[in-house]
Amino acid sequence: MSRSGLLRTLALATLAAFILLPFLQAVELSFTVTLGVDGVPAGTFGLHNYANILATPTLRDSFINSVTYVLLNVIFCLAAGLPAAYGLARYTFVGDRHFLFFLLAFRVTPPVVLSLPIFILFARTGLVNTPVGIALVHCVFNLPIAIWILESFITAIPRSFDEMAFIDGHSRSGFFMRFLIPALAPGIAVTAFFCFIFSWVEVVLARTLTVTGGKPITQAISSLFSFQTDWGLVMAMTIFSLVPGVMMIFFVRNHIARGFVVRT
Amino acid sequence: MLPAALVMIFVAVAPMVTVLNYSFHDIFTLDDVFWVGTEWYETIVSSPRFWSSLGRSAAFSSLVLMIQLPLGIGIALMLRRARPRAANLMLMCLAIPLVVPTNMVAGLWLALLRPEGLGGQALTLFNLTLDYKFTAAHTWGLILVVDTWHWLGLVVILAYAGLSSISPAYYQAAAIDSASRLAVFRWIELPQISGALWIVLLLRLVDSFMIYTEVMTINAGGPRDATTFLSLQLGEEIKGFSYGSAAARAMVNFLFVLTLVWVFVKLRQSKDSAGSKVT
Repeated sequence: MSRSGLLRTLALATLAAFILLPFLQAVELSFTVTLGVDGVPAGTFGLHNYANILATPTLRDSFINSVTYVLLNVIFCLAAGLPAAYGLARYTFVGDRHFLFFLLAFRVTPPVVLSLPIFILFARTGLVNTPVGIALVHCVFNLPIAIWILESFITAIPRSFDEMAFIDGHSRSGFFMRFLIPALAPGIAVTAFFCFIFSWVEVVLARTLTVTGGKPITQAISSLFSFQTDWGLVMAMTIFSLVPGVMMIFFVRNHIARGFVVRT
Repeated sequence: MLPAALVMIFVAVAPMVTVLNYSFHDIFTLDDVFWVGTEWYETIVSSPRFWSSLGRSAAFSSLVLMIQLPLGIGIALMLRRARPRAANLMLMCLAIPLVVPTNMVAGLWLALLRPEGLGGQALTLFNLTLDYKFTAAHTWGLILVVDTWHWLGLVVILAYAGLSSISPAYYQAAAIDSASRLAVFRWIELPQISGALWIVLLLRLVDSFMIYTEVMTINAGGPRDATTFLSLQLGEEIKGFSYGSAAARAMVNFLFVLTLVWVFVKLRQSKDSAGSKVT
């Protein structure tokens, strides 16, 4: 290996170490009992923390809550995003540029800005503490992303594809179901990935909207911090919360950059 | 179009209008509201704390961009020359911090830096002290490191994707002209990835400008307000139930973001049209 090649390998290895170090620590801690209880002294190595998660209903439920609202959010984004993306990809109309600008603006609006009125609005409509509420709210930043990604995939399909179907006498909805959606499958998968990830890691809105019940996993982790934090349990829970994301990364590893192609 | 627009109106536009409305009122409880006009805005604009936190936010954002963009592009360039399998593995590795729930990003680092954690032990080994609770410079350093750790992957992935889409013909042409490595970067690679970089620039700019959770977890804006950014002030007021003034502050923040996005889109459009004239 040449000198510059060696240097490069060294630099990349350092980078990998920098990225992975906190995870290494987290994994190590998650297998360690940090507060000695019930005959298990502090410092014991083993699966105690993970067993603890499964034994605690609030922690277990928070995982289910998170999964529920994240999946609902993905469904909402796809259902609302697909027609919009199709419209933007195939037609030009008055205000389409404004609509895209407006999407971009809301994608980058910090959630803190909107949290208070959203809470009041949702409290009036009975959506607080429900997964549907959080799923809807996460559309603020996920729907723009869904529309951008789907639009880029639809534009890649030639227009004659649509026209063929219409000539064959398929209605618009029949065309959507039978032709467009199968042809868009990779695009839909990538969209689902990004909506999933962004909804999964969002904290501020999910916390605001769950006052008494339906706590998401992120909130369950925060509530573990106290005067004497059980770091082992916190880290076990964090590792637990990373699993879906890491799985997702693995599935879409070849398409990951698609989600950030933005049209203005 | 219609369903998407309806959802956006319900979750984005309606709350925004509500915030705007609140920002002109003094709110004791939700049934007890007084019209105060632009008083909140005057208070905010005339408060020195607001201006100093704005300055801190701006300084933080510029630092973030100055560190993360060159670093990310550099790494992407290195990855392009590494073997594809290794590069792919590295990209996946860099993507992992992106899926960490935002409230645990700082938590992971604090766990690492506890005296008995790996990082803490390494620091003692080298006889260094990291006093992020009381020394402002250390707090800033830690927040920057944590933020870089969290978001570097995004910059690298986008820059890498941009670099991968450059057609080999450009490199061949450059080789024929015996262009230097620097010239290749300046005249071929940089223009070709600028599309991807625009969005990364915007996302990083706005996100770092409005950073909240990480800073809150690390030191809650301390020591002595040294890391109290704009969003932290807003958070303070919401927690203090001062809704009217919080709404005004939220509006101010939103206007900043909106202006940034607008400038950004305009710049890009003018650049696009200039580019199309040339070709």
